[in-house]
Amino acid sequence: MGNLRTGHLVEGAIWLSLCLFLYAYSFEFDKNIEIYKFGATAWPRSIILLIAIAALGQLFQHWKYGDIGSSNAMQAANVDDAEEAAHEAHHESLGWYLSTFALLVIPFAYMRVPDWIAAWLGAGGSTLHILRVVCAVILVGLFLTQVKRNMMGAMLTLPLFFAALLEDMGFYSLAPIFIVGVMFLFGETRPKPMLAIMALIYGLLMALFVKILFVGLPVGNIRPFYDFGSWVVTVLQ
Amino acid sequence: MDVFNNFLTGTITLFSDPLGILIFFGGVIGGMLFGAIPGVSMLTLAAILLPFTAHLSAEHGIMLFSVIYCTGVYGGAITAILFNIPGAPENAPTAFDGYPMTQKGQAGKAVGAAVMCSAIGGTVSCIIMMIATAPIADWAISAFGPPEIFALVFFGLAVASSVGAKTFWKGWLSILIGLMVAVVGLDPVGGIERYDFEMPYLLAGIHFIPTILGFFAVSEIFVQAEKKVTGSYVAPKIGVEFPTLKELLAHKFAVIRSIIIGFFCGVLPGIGATLAAFMGYNEAVRWSKKPETFGKGNIEGVISSETANNAATGAAMIPLLALGLPGGALTAMMVGVFQMHDMEPGPLVFINSADLVWVVFAAMFFANISIIFVGYLETKTIINLLRIPFQFLAPMILLLATVGAYAVRGLTIDIVVMFLAGVIGFFLRRSGYSVAGIVLGLILGKIGEQTFAQAMQMLHFEWSGFFDRPIALGLILAGFVTLAGSIYGAFFKTNKPTATDPAV
Repeated sequence: MGNLRTGHLVEGAIWLSLCLFLYAYSFEFDKNIEIYKFGATAWPRSIILLIAIAALGQLFQHWKYGDIGSSNAMQAANVDDAEEAAHEAHHESLGWYLSTFALLVIPFAYMRVPDWIAAWLGAGGSTLHILRVVCAVILVGLFLTQVKRNMMGAMLTLPLFFAALLEDMGFYSLAPIFIVGVMFLFGETRPKPMLAIMALIYGLLMALFVKILFVGLPVGNIRPFYDFGSWVVTVLQ
Repeated sequence: MDVFNNFLTGTITLFSDPLGILIFFGGVIGGMLFGAIPGVSMLTLAAILLPFTAHLSAEHGIMLFSVIYCTGVYGGAITAILFNIPGAPENAPTAFDGYPMTQKGQAGKAVGAAVMCSAIGGTVSCIIMMIATAPIADWAISAFGPPEIFALVFFGLAVASSVGAKTFWKGWLSILIGLMVAVVGLDPVGGIERYDFEMPYLLAGIHFIPTILGFFAVSEIFVQAEKKVTGSYVAPKIGVEFPTLKELLAHKFAVIRSIIIGFFCGVLPGIGATLAAFMGYNEAVRWSKKPETFGKGNIEGVISSETANNAATGAAMIPLLALGLPGGALTAMMVGVFQMHDMEPGPLVFINSADLVWVVFAAMFFANISIIFVGYLETKTIINLLRIPFQFLAPMILLLATVGAYAVRGLTIDIVVMFLAGVIGFFLRRSGYSVAGIVLGLILGKIGEQTFAQAMQMLHFEWSGFFDRPIALGLILAGFVTLAGSIYGAFFKTNKPTATDPAV
């Protein structure tokens, strides 16, 4: 096994699986182009081959030298402190990865599950909207139960969850909650500064982007979020 | 003498028109502000302003965009230095040493160096642009076809693979991920859908603005969050002390070298300031007697990167105005401004609209000069953002990034892509991969594939055709030599594990 650790093998396996998946999927668009004999697949397949070579090269280097970087000054000079932060935070265990992955599934569940249920029920329109709100409430509840257990996982999930909800709930309704949520996950627990900063950031964003620059932000699709978003835009513009 | 007279005429035209003056200063301040606000960039401002230029004259519209380009490239350095969030890919190498300087309480020195060197690089580039546009355009037309551009992209990627990652392999894997992401969408020759997973959104490819925002701005917030969780977060020290003239003069060779690199990278269509900045930085490390100090707060890293990227701005106008080829996203938007006024950029512009060209040249010259004065004042204000506790700054940055990602195309899925890129970037960074490499791969990947296809068609699918073209051959050989050196380093010069190393 040389200096190989389980992490190196997992990393190598991920890269090679990705290559396999991308190569297999390339047959979906393996079509001839009359004026170009290499077709649409030559370029991506060359990149896939290079990824596989680089992944194997990396495995070889790990086998021979372990985790040590090369002596190339450029490479040694530019590594950022993310790796060190991860090490200090003890966020390297399998349990942490699984818990974080489970949290990250929540936003994607919101993006897909209501549609699946609606299709299964043959429902649409307002029923779909109700389904989405119910789903959002359940998933927010699930998210909140996990926050204390895995703060970092929650921090990674919150912006994605915010983005997933934007289409339906709108920027104007969600932004204040998002601001408070981020501050809380960054360790701020004093209610008064949180409210004051929330009002300040929200006010500044509205003034700059809605009032001055007329940037259209998502107002949402579901009532009453849509009504609130439209009202804010009407008042400011 | 013609050049001087034309420049004088352009200057008089620019400053004798009150609306022109207003637009000029609006562009200077707007470019710097949007470049400097974490989470948005000059491209966000340009995208927002693009529809409104229809109400301006062609002269004012193009002048506004060229001024935003000059000052925005500089503005992006401020966020790179203060928050490790490059305003644009061309500011990414600035963060390598600028941010460590901020953490050491030398933010003022780093920003001061960026102000001075951006102004010097941009101004010199502007002067060369005015003198040499015609001969360089003539040379580029005849010397640089698709094979040469592809060869340059290959060389650029070979150089960039050594930037930002823990090992050579991780550097290449980072670039290859970027190249793979660039494949998503329609293929450049036959328009065949690739890796779209039957999602209409992916047909247009993954837009680089949400991706850049995600990999840089969002992943940085996550890294800071991780430090907060463990209590290892240390607020950056604030220093507003600018570098002395003596300190800057000590790096005069780095400035001259970066101007030359920046100008030649900038003049080539599609390459622009990003490669210039990376190459400027790379050469600074290569020529340094203390390469190990780079990445840990060496002011020469900031100087080289910022001089090179601003030197590329003037040069990037040459292919745009002389050939009609945009060098990057902002110059591509300028093509849009031309088209809105029923004009096409290209050689005829010099004949039909000489006034426009010289007003633009004059505006760019003065925009670069104004970086010193306006940049100094603005920096004194913006640097105080560091006094704000990060838990209050983080939601602001995330929401600004949200607006920036959404403003490009008005799609909420772009916001999802941005945050997803942030999560992926966070995991890749903590594993020693380079987000800058991914972004460079993404941007150069599209150009690389397109020029490769054009080159192969042009060379009748004969690989030997590359060997008949000296510039292409030279660049490809240089790329392979760089690669061979890196592979040798990876296999034979790797540091031996020590007993104290935790990984062993």
